[in-house]
Amino acid sequence: MRRDTQHALLVLLGAALLRIAADDTYLRYVRPSHRWLLLAAGAVIVVLAVVGLVRDRAGPPAHEHGHTPWLLLAPVLVIALVAPPALGADAVSRAGAGNPVVQDADVFDPLPPGAPQLPVAEFVQRAVWDTGGSLHGREVVLTGFVVRRGAATELARMTIACCAADARPHRVRLVGDVADPAPDTWLQVRGVLQEGSATSVTGHVPALTVAEATVVPAPPDPYEY
Amino acid sequence: MTTAVGIRPTSMHVFCAVLLVAILARPLLVDALSVPVLQTAATVFVAVCVQALPFLVLGVLLSGAIAAFVSPAVLRRVLPARPEAAVPVAGAAGLVLPGCECASVPVARRLMGQGVPDAVALAFLLAAPAVNPVVLVATAVAFPGEPRMVLARAVASLATACVTGWLWQRFGRAEWIARRAAPPHAGGGRWAVLAETARHDLVSAGGFLVVGAAAAAALSVLVPPEWTEALAGQLVLAVLVMAVLAVVLALCSEADAFVAASLTMLPLLPRLVFLVVGPAVDVKLIALQAGTFGRAFAARFAPLTFAVAVCCAVGAGLVLL
Repeated sequence: MRRDTQHALLVLLGAALLRIAADDTYLRYVRPSHRWLLLAAGAVIVVLAVVGLVRDRAGPPAHEHGHTPWLLLAPVLVIALVAPPALGADAVSRAGAGNPVVQDADVFDPLPPGAPQLPVAEFVQRAVWDTGGSLHGREVVLTGFVVRRGAATELARMTIACCAADARPHRVRLVGDVADPAPDTWLQVRGVLQEGSATSVTGHVPALTVAEATVVPAPPDPYEY
Repeated sequence: MTTAVGIRPTSMHVFCAVLLVAILARPLLVDALSVPVLQTAATVFVAVCVQALPFLVLGVLLSGAIAAFVSPAVLRRVLPARPEAAVPVAGAAGLVLPGCECASVPVARRLMGQGVPDAVALAFLLAAPAVNPVVLVATAVAFPGEPRMVLARAVASLATACVTGWLWQRFGRAEWIARRAAPPHAGGGRWAVLAETARHDLVSAGGFLVVGAAAAAALSVLVPPEWTEALAGQLVLAVLVMAVLAVVLALCSEADAFVAASLTMLPLLPRLVFLVVGPAVDVKLIALQAGTFGRAFAARFAPLTFAVAVCCAVGAGLVLL
């Protein structure tokens, strides 16, 4: 690949990083704190390419051996032409049958009054571990996407630590009238935990008796952290 | 100037043609990637690229800075003269590079280019992503109530770096590393050397990072979840499968602790193996190392590191956990 082609390729690569960090697209792939890293990396890549272009103007276009730089075009094209969506029902169904249950605590703070909005991961944590019964009889509001497992309808949300490659799903089984939403539909549900439903028999997937389910647009921030 | 023979296509022509075809074929591409399994793989592919590129950029900038500002003489003064003694020093130096494994590959190559013995640079390569403060804090957060996990990870990773370094010093051959860092081009001042070295390293390593990301994405949808679910109660098998999983999943070393923590059906030892093997050898790193140092190197270094990392992790786990 000629050096001028390499420069053009690097400009596109840097621009792709800047483009996904400019709006919420990057949140499909990495956690929010990664944004400034993407902006810095994109800017550095563009600057390196421009410096190369300017310095090469003096001489004839030189050739550097090797074809591997071409591969850098793959992420650029996938980002620019497709920008794949955040992980959804397909990824959840590939992740095994149970919820990941790392015990953070066995006593949790009491919930705020009313029907508080809880992250799905926190709801699962409380349902599995809380010996203080903070969820008992309490209405909560959860937001997630629909996953079908046989006849059951589940509400799921992915938790990521760094990027989508390390995503772990947290799932809640929905009981009651939730209509028949298609997989990957985003729902906001209000309901009450069925006590004793999040055991090792159910793969630590708690059941929620749904009082109300509303279809909502996908949030800009699809993951929990 | 156009001659009677016609225009010989250059890579720039090919580049523009590829872009044009890709844009015209966009509906086909979007269609192909709307299959759920391909969509999941595509998301993981972009995620690994996007997550790793900033660290690769950090690595090539450091590599450029070393080429421009740190002369071989300075490195010789800082490091102990005997490689056997310099290996643990380089391993401990890994503490100060707070990045993922992608950053340390170009830096290690540049250190070799500046006259640091191969074994010493490789010890740095293995230690930097595994024992830096960010990774250890992430491990402590992921395993609340298990501080021994952090200690065991640090000890096992440092041991992996040192043992591999010593083995390479004893048995390694210089000609296995086919691709050496070219001496920085003279002229244009130090900043120009930095920019050109960083640009060159980025172009040559970036393509291999893409290979690794594609492999990790493919394997992430191909490895069935039953692999980990069937392992409860089978310690030896669990250790081996978790070591293999660490290689094929290619997680960032700052994130792998959270995944390991979520595998609660397994005892701590196999999960420690996962944490020690992952930053030392995975498909993304193998691709990156094959591109950076040559295939002959990667074919020897990857199995060596894998074996050493598994042994060190099991040893540290049996003593400390």
